[in-house]
Amino acid sequence: MELGSLSDPTQSTFSLVDEDHTFANAIRFTLNQDPRTKFCGYSIPHPSDNRVNIRIQTTGDPAKDVFKDACQDLMVMCQHVSNTFNKAVVDFKLSNSVEGMDIESDS
Amino acid sequence: MDPQQPAEPVYYICGDCGMEIPLKPNDVIQCRECGYRILYKKRTRRIVQYEAR
Amino acid sequence: MSSSNENTTSSSGSEQSDSRNDTLDFIEKLSDVPMGKLPPHIDFQRTRVDCKADAPIHTDTFQYSGAYASMGVDNSLLDSFSSNFRVEVIRLEKDEMEFDMIGIDPAIANAFRRILIAEVPTMAIERVLIANNTSVIQDEVLSHRLGLIPIKADPRLFEFTENNAANEKNTIVFGLKVRCEKQGKRKGPKREGQEQDGQTRITVKSKDLVWLPNGSNFALESEGSSSNSSSKPKTYTSFTCSQDSLPEFSSNPVGPTDGDITIARLGPGQEIELEALAVKGIGKTHAKWSPVAPAWYRMLPEVIILKDIEDELAEKLVATCPVKVFDIEDIGNGKKRATVARPRKCTLCRECIREGKGWEDSLSLRRVKDHFIFTIESTGVLPPEVLFTEAVKILQDKCERAITDLC
Repeated sequence: MELGSLSDPTQSTFSLVDEDHTFANAIRFTLNQDPRTKFCGYSIPHPSDNRVNIRIQTTGDPAKDVFKDACQDLMVMCQHVSNTFNKAVVDFKLSNSVEGMDIESDS
Repeated sequence: MDPQQPAEPVYYICGDCGMEIPLKPNDVIQCRECGYRILYKKRTRRIVQYEAR
Repeated sequence: MSSSNENTTSSSGSEQSDSRNDTLDFIEKLSDVPMGKLPPHIDFQRTRVDCKADAPIHTDTFQYSGAYASMGVDNSLLDSFSSNFRVEVIRLEKDEMEFDMIGIDPAIANAFRRILIAEVPTMAIERVLIANNTSVIQDEVLSHRLGLIPIKADPRLFEFTENNAANEKNTIVFGLKVRCEKQGKRKGPKREGQEQDGQTRITVKSKDLVWLPNGSNFALESEGSSSNSSSKPKTYTSFTCSQDSLPEFSSNPVGPTDGDITIARLGPGQEIELEALAVKGIGKTHAKWSPVAPAWYRMLPEVIILKDIEDELAEKLVATCPVKVFDIEDIGNGKKRATVARPRKCTLCRECIREGKGWEDSLSLRRVKDHFIFTIESTGVLPPEVLFTEAVKILQDKCERAITDLC
């Protein structure tokens, strides 16, 4: 849910339900990395409510676009992490099984 | 409705020896074996549901 | 950019401006303020946590892309992320794994850790239908213990029970029926070595939980239970087909991950008869649904010897460290020197720098801010590498949900 002003699309607050520090801090990181961001931060109005407010102020682009791009960036990062991790696990298993096979004489 | 009075007796547990004693209405409340007069009712047969939390 | 501005300062008083220009020229020619690269002390502040004797410093991360714009350095991690990010698996066992993630920000690493603990779904017992419990363990305590038993069933094959009835797609049913006979012989699942007389106590273990693939056997109590001659009475679950007819379960039967978990103890004459329904849930709702026991990370420790430590001091240093980070090296002439042999094992106990200021000046304990040593201990439900992959997928789903909510 976006709370901004009609006249100034470069700054607004996004209120997300059913989210907490897990997602908000990660998004804050990717937002910070975007050079179009002038200011970004998140707050949790009350710990009992499952709600997070993410504030974005940009250098000219609409805040909604910057937020969307940050989410996309985070998704790309996750995908890359997943691929690298899976490859590392497969390599580790292969190298371990090769050692195992050397010790045992027959397959 | 079938008459409940002479139907199946309810089993109670003696407080001393732990024997199951069937009792009918208007019976003397006493253990048949050891004569102890404190009897406990058995746990209900109904299925009780709990949340595992 | 800024250097050209400084050159064109207005000249008011030739001598002063000459000297000022000279100093400016001098500063610009200094080799340790190069444009495009961070000076070493700022790079140290950016990438290392310095753990001093009383408290660590430089603990926050500089995420803002323009943090070093005045020096012409782009602090953006995302561009180089794909090339700089590395994963190295150190240890991978059936239930535990340790791996290194290099080149990632703590915000993302923490997000993965939080998701692993609280948002990866598993199956756990939620409803317990007790038909008979004459043991000393109260009903609710018994139910609580049953809820905490980890269940070996792939949660990805099940759905969440939102408001639907319990059916074969979202529920697993277990039955438990144990009785301790008065003479010592027990009825119930056969177990070696307990047939003899004189057994006054029985321990009910998790391997006594029997999987009922056909659903619940307990009949639901309905008010109008008159002459409704239906062949199958209504039970607590409505399974349309038996779960073990599904291919995934016929080869991997469902059960608790470990059969040796004590559920209750029975004395003579006591019995327990119950059915437990397991559903899918996440750790956020209740800790019994957490798939890890637990998962954590730490930053890579770095131990640097700033000034050479020799001979007796070196021996003393090696003796002080409880995890043997340091080692002695002979450098000829009978002299010895201390070296850092296993920095990874450092637990930051600070024993080595506790004694006095002299030690603190010669040793530097640091942490590398973007190198995380992740340890995942699984409860046995899913292998740890699968758990991590699921956690990454869940973070991706969150992003997608945020994007679709926006439009």
